[in-house]
Amino acid sequence: MIRSQAVSLAALLLLGGPVYAGSFEAYVATTAGKPVEDSVVVVEPVVKAVARHHSTATIEQRDRELVPYVTIVQTGAAIDFPNRDPFKHHLYSFSPAKRFEIKLYAGKPAQPVVFDKPGEVALGCNIHDWMEAYVLVVDSPYFAKTDGNGRAFITNIPPGHYRLRLWHPRQNSEPPLREIEIGAAPTQLNLAMDIAPRIAKQKPPVEADHY
Amino acid sequence: MIVRSLQYRIVIVFVGLLLLVMAIVLALVTRTNGRIVFAEMERELSAGTQVFTRLIEQNQRQLETAATVLSADFAFREAIATQDRPTMRSVIRNHGLRIGAQAMMVISPDGQLIADTQSNSAELRLFPFPDLLLVAESAGKSTGFRQMKDGRLYQIVLVPILAPKRIAWVAMGFLVDDRWAQELSGMNGLAISVIRRSGTSVAVLASSLDGPKRSALPGALTRLSNDLSQAVPIGDEHYQTVQLPLGKELSVVLQRSIEQAEAPFRSLQMALWTIVLAGVVIFSIGSVMLARRIVSPVNELAAAARRIEAGNYIEPVPSLPPDEIGQLAMSFDRMREQVASREQKILKLAYEDTLTGLPNRTRFLEAFNQLPADCPCAIAVLNLDRFAMINNALGHPIGDRLLREVGLRLGLVMPGSVIVARLWADEFAFLLEGADQASAMSIAESVLVKLRDPITLDGQRLDVGGSIGIALYPGDGQDAPTLIRRAEFAMNAAKRRHVGVAFASGIGEETQHEHLSLIGEMREALARQEFLVYYQPKLDLASRKITGAEALIRWQHPEQGLVPPIGFIPFAEQTGFIREITPWLLETVAAQTAQWSEEGLSIVPSINLSTLDLLNTGLVDQMRGLIELHSLPANGLCLEITESALMEDPALALAHLGELAALGFKLSIDDYGTGQASLAYLKTLPVHELKIDQTFILSVADSPKNAAIVRSTIALCHALGLTVVAEGVETSADLAWLADNECDIAQGYGIARPMPADDLPDWIAAYSVPAFAT
Ligand SMILES: [Cu+2]
Repeated sequence: MIRSQAVSLAALLLLGGPVYAGSFEAYVATTAGKPVEDSVVVVEPVVKAVARHHSTATIEQRDRELVPYVTIVQTGAAIDFPNRDPFKHHLYSFSPAKRFEIKLYAGKPAQPVVFDKPGEVALGCNIHDWMEAYVLVVDSPYFAKTDGNGRAFITNIPPGHYRLRLWHPRQNSEPPLREIEIGAAPTQLNLAMDIAPRIAKQKPPVEADHY
Repeated sequence: MIVRSLQYRIVIVFVGLLLLVMAIVLALVTRTNGRIVFAEMERELSAGTQVFTRLIEQNQRQLETAATVLSADFAFREAIATQDRPTMRSVIRNHGLRIGAQAMMVISPDGQLIADTQSNSAELRLFPFPDLLLVAESAGKSTGFRQMKDGRLYQIVLVPILAPKRIAWVAMGFLVDDRWAQELSGMNGLAISVIRRSGTSVAVLASSLDGPKRSALPGALTRLSNDLSQAVPIGDEHYQTVQLPLGKELSVVLQRSIEQAEAPFRSLQMALWTIVLAGVVIFSIGSVMLARRIVSPVNELAAAARRIEAGNYIEPVPSLPPDEIGQLAMSFDRMREQVASREQKILKLAYEDTLTGLPNRTRFLEAFNQLPADCPCAIAVLNLDRFAMINNALGHPIGDRLLREVGLRLGLVMPGSVIVARLWADEFAFLLEGADQASAMSIAESVLVKLRDPITLDGQRLDVGGSIGIALYPGDGQDAPTLIRRAEFAMNAAKRRHVGVAFASGIGEETQHEHLSLIGEMREALARQEFLVYYQPKLDLASRKITGAEALIRWQHPEQGLVPPIGFIPFAEQTGFIREITPWLLETVAAQTAQWSEEGLSIVPSINLSTLDLLNTGLVDQMRGLIELHSLPANGLCLEITESALMEDPALALAHLGELAALGFKLSIDDYGTGQASLAYLKTLPVHELKIDQTFILSVADSPKNAAIVRSTIALCHALGLTVVAEGVETSADLAWLADNECDIAQGYGIARPMPADDLPDWIAAYSVPAFAT
């Protein structure tokens, strides 16, 4: 799903931009060498001259979980929070990048939430403590998140000088920014991150259905 | 003393045994209690510790849960998320109130204290307990006991604030103070204290102990910092102690008071002591009462025994309850009766003559002594005539029956006030109270009259006569023995004189002064040769010749004329003057015999020896010298001895008789029949001749009774090899009877009266034996 989105996004860029373009592939692993999933890889142009794409995204509430766990959007994007569960949720964020609250609701809220400031946003549900999701709002259109194998692939990057930014919701420390050159040839990097294990929050079984 | 100690012993044994049993019970109970208390304490302490640990854990969980719930509160989280410190502070204050935490702190993820109910300081500082943060980062939360800078101890719970990512920590502090300790103490039953040890010093941060004990605790724990197996003394109590670590330098001290644990057992012990004391008191009283019940009958018995010991047999032994002592008392009473009756019997034996039933000599003497000293009285002594001969001739059974009969008669004839006693053998005595000479005389005569009636035993008529001597008190003597002796003396005199009754005062024995004058007269008479010897011829009935003569002393008194021997010989015997008369008599008779022998007249003279003579140790030598001096054969002299002379000192008398017999002297028993000597006794003596007393010979021809006695006496004497002499022969009929009955020798007026020595040869020459049949 994420991959297909990224591909479609790349196709869009491909259609509207110059013909030549580079690509970036990252492999993210822990210092112990284990591949890291859901790491966000962002390639930011050093010179801010990137067009804004008011893209949209969707974070569903399904089976008392927020899906997906990590979402990356460009600044100004609007995100829909459709509720697919037969009961209500109460979404909130206290993050400085985007503070909002969608009080108990069912179905799809009337308005999507616009994330107009770059930064990380932690999402939770006030009535289901274990539900969590993260949105990273970035000022670059070139981003991807690692799959289960720790791999992320970004295409259609105009060659140039970029800053590589790495992020993970459970990172123990913010990894340092590094500069990379994107050329015609695909760029590949192995990256390491210090990630805390995901604490399994207690999620009660759905007992109500049985009654 | 003994009685008391018996009582004490009973009490002491009873109470002592009780005390012993109680002591054992007490010791056992105390020991068991001690062990139970110890085990119970251990159990309580370990259970209390477990409960305490559980409570602390539970408490911690509750606090954590509460903190977690609080930290999840949306509004709370929202407020924390604002990062506005005054807001945060008011929020945590509010929520602290909700949850009941006394201290609340908000800590940033990087350990900065960003809000704090304890201080309003605006400057940021680090959270003071980074170790709690460290634990919470890995475990999600943490709890610990920490002392804050206000000095107070808190149980701090540190939980994250998740939104949903951890945006901060909130620390909630619950005050650990005395109330906390008391609450927990109320649940586990132990004293709970939280202490801080830094170095050697101990500070109490919270305690369920009150006032003085709380302040004494640090000191007590310091002293016993290492060894908590011992009891810790705090105040007036001792505490068994367990110490649990609570954190850095912090410990919880759990304590159980030994005294409180012992309290129920103490009350049990108190109850036991009360029972022991009550038991001892009750037992003491009971055993004293029992001991009294045992001892007081014993005392009564002892008193009864003392009465009996003192001779009081009349009072019966008190009757006691029918237990063992009661039976003893009954036995004792029977014993008293037995002793009393036996004493009665012994008294009877002691005071009564068994043969006649009359009082005996002892009783008689006592009766005399019991008379008042100023009361005149008379003592009369009766001797039966011819009793010895009757006894010998007819046997002892007859003699005894005769005595019994005589006793009976005497008892009958006497007035009630007169005491009749049998002194010995055939001699009876009468105590005549208040009697003078005349009344004594009349009583004595009535006795003799009564005795004159013949006594018939087994169809045999026995003529029993008697002689009575009377001594008067106080004239004749002051004491009973003297009076009896003098009465006997008078009785003998009466017997010799055939007068029936004689008074001691009437036979010449007068006052001591008179005695002395009489002795003087006799001495003068001896010197002036006023004593003469008369000879009474003895006729040998077989050869019809005069073969002997009895030498009889006479006193040719210048004033009184010729005095018969009865007038002075008894007195000479009594005073011992006889010892001077007898040698003179022996010398005179020996010289006369030697003279007659030269003249061709063969006469064997008989000389009377008194008791004193016979007992004189010089007698044998004197006799030997006498025959040597006069060249007489020993069998040319005959010595006559009375039975009574033999009785004084039988052993010495017998020894002298033996020596005299060995020298060859003829020995003769005089007055046979008046005394007590039996023939069986006389037979053992070395005598050759027996002279039957004249009282038996008188009218022997007329009295069949006397004849029988004399006949049997002669027969017995002959059987024993003795020559028999009959004294007092008065008639030719008697002489003929004696000759017929084979009597050996006769003497008496019927043959010749005593005559001077010079007349004898002529009389013998002129004498012709009277005509009696042969
Ligand atoms: Cu929800």
